[in-house]
Amino acid sequence: MVDVGTTLEMVQASQAGMSALGAGLAVGLTGIGAGIAEMAIGSAAVGATAENRDVFGLVLLLTVIPETIVIFGLVVALLLLF
Amino acid sequence: MLRPERMRRLLIAAPKGEIDAIVRELYRHNVYHIEDFVPESSSEALSIGYPLPEASDAASALTKVRAIENACGIDPENVDVKTKLPASKVREMIRTDLPVIQKEAEDLVGSRSRLETRQKEHEQRARELEPFAAVPLDLEFYRGYARFTVFTGHITRDVDIDVPNEKYFSDKVAGNMVVVVVQNEHREQVERTLLNAGFQAIPVPEETGAPADCMKAHLEEARRIEDEIAAINGKIAGIRERHTDFLVACDELLTADVERAQAPLRFATTEETFITEGWVPEDRADRIQDALGRVTGGRIYIEELDIDDDTVVPVEYENPSFASPTQMLMDIYARPRYSELDPTLMVAIVFPIFFGLILGDVGYGAVLLALSLGLRKFLKGEGGRALLKVLSYASISSIVFGVLYSEAFGFALPWDAMIFSRHLNIGGAAGGHGPQVVELMIVALWIGILHITLGRILGIINARSLYHGKHATKAVISHAGWLGIMWGILLIIWSFFPIPMMPDLTGLPIIAMGFGVAAVIGVVLLVAGIIGIAQENPLEVVELPTIISHVLSYARLTAVGLSSVAIAMVVNYISIGMMIEPQLEAITLTGVIFIVLGILVFLLGHVLNTALGLLGGGLHSIRLHYVEFFTKFYKGGGKKYNPFGMKSKFTEE
Repeated sequence: MVDVGTTLEMVQASQAGMSALGAGLAVGLTGIGAGIAEMAIGSAAVGATAENRDVFGLVLLLTVIPETIVIFGLVVALLLLF
Repeated sequence: MLRPERMRRLLIAAPKGEIDAIVRELYRHNVYHIEDFVPESSSEALSIGYPLPEASDAASALTKVRAIENACGIDPENVDVKTKLPASKVREMIRTDLPVIQKEAEDLVGSRSRLETRQKEHEQRARELEPFAAVPLDLEFYRGYARFTVFTGHITRDVDIDVPNEKYFSDKVAGNMVVVVVQNEHREQVERTLLNAGFQAIPVPEETGAPADCMKAHLEEARRIEDEIAAINGKIAGIRERHTDFLVACDELLTADVERAQAPLRFATTEETFITEGWVPEDRADRIQDALGRVTGGRIYIEELDIDDDTVVPVEYENPSFASPTQMLMDIYARPRYSELDPTLMVAIVFPIFFGLILGDVGYGAVLLALSLGLRKFLKGEGGRALLKVLSYASISSIVFGVLYSEAFGFALPWDAMIFSRHLNIGGAAGGHGPQVVELMIVALWIGILHITLGRILGIINARSLYHGKHATKAVISHAGWLGIMWGILLIIWSFFPIPMMPDLTGLPIIAMGFGVAAVIGVVLLVAGIIGIAQENPLEVVELPTIISHVLSYARLTAVGLSSVAIAMVVNYISIGMMIEPQLEAITLTGVIFIVLGILVFLLGHVLNTALGLLGGGLHSIRLHYVEFFTKFYKGGGKKYNPFGMKSKFTEE
């Protein structure tokens, strides 16, 4: 793999690029995961709210619980970038 | 302050003759929470009481008042109190004025609905005439023939008819229009031909003259009726204008009458006496007992009962006034139980801090503050008001943190960040030392560690007051176990990795197998903690990973905040850096369009980010409380304290 023409700067640039890619993947994939998790909760929440307006606050809360997943992704991304 | 209001349980027994006086007095004081009497089949000595005789009159009058309010669109919740009307005057007016207003309102609503029906009829007629307007034939020529048959209707396409006929086709109306006149003997043949072309018959309207003129007449009539309806709506608005104060006062007074008259339905009665059980706050218990004794002239028996089960006690918050709007956030989760700690005060202090940490921006904070103050005019319900108060505290905290972070709408303020900088390097505009993400994250984790530790300590206090004997000891040890595991893990991490802004324990003397003093203490705490949890419930050991995920969850304080900073800076960069600034150097016509577009992007982007910031900041802060904090100690499930009586808004005695 090691090319004769590879300099230290190129390796460093490639590493920076890789970690940026990794950060992007971390946020993007966890975002998809959170979206899938919120999908079922969200539709159930809308149904429950249609039945009884009073539960709106509670279901809004239940809906954001899976956001922890994407928060973890964001934490990982930030650690990669900074 | 950190406990719900103390309650006393009263049993009141008195002869039935005093029931009216007692109910009236209880209602006036508005402190007595009635425990509904549930008859048991075994004891037949006690039965549910009967409503007082005035119940049905008051109820029917109330129905009338509510009907008028409905018709005029008055909602007592949203009416401002101008003057309080004296109750005696309202009662007088219920006798004299109410029937007049009711008749007026009923007549108006009745004639409005009649007019609406007529308007609909005319519109319907006009719709029916519409296809005939395309045919230049007066309506009376369509009927009255003995030897001819007339077909009228929609058709998909024009057709040729191979018998003697007279036909008119128009494609000017929706669905096309065809009129065919044939002799009776060809009728079936023609009908078949037409049906093959997708013919749909429509009846000829029972009118005379040119269809277009008829249609115009109907539409004009409908318009005229609409004006009449508008006039009636104006009159109804007039009623609302003139009588709102009186109507809401009536509503209040009669609601009180009905509630009072129906109170005996919640009492237990024997032939001669009645008994009721209920709750009063401790500081007002003596006063109400004295008052009851006075109005009955001593013909009453009151006993204080012991509180044996804390789940039946109604719960009323007792908080300083700045914390009371936060009670609404507590009610969304669950009201505290009577004997546990009421964390409202802690939420009231910590929630705005979290919100400010996330959305620390002078600009957004100011917008939200203005919003929360401005909406106060429109939101009059109790819950809405409380929410706006909470929001205004949160936005003030956001402004304070904005000053500390040196941020306004994503721009840097003229000073460096006083705590940690969140200025990202977007568009190459960052000054100073760039974002201190790692430091911010560690601060967030510290907040998490302390918040969770506080939660567990509160859990220990709660366990001691909720449980008794062996169970209490076990629960206390289990909570201590959770604390031990968390701090044990922290000690082990600290003894191996130096982390900025956290204690560095890597230099301590090594005892065995590369484990330093701190690590050994950590392992001991960890193992003791696991044993402590397992002795209460071994299944809870599977929950151990939540220790790490809950602490890490506080990283959202940094992460969500940084994302909102990033969006703000990107919006600024796109609108100002990319669209407005380059055009300002040499102004051209397209340049002006670009500048306008840039301003639009700027406004839209920041409106969106304000909404996101409100949602993100609010939901994530409250979620940290509900999920990470409350699960450590909070049970909830207390009954709402709902005193018998009413705070009169519109009337006075």
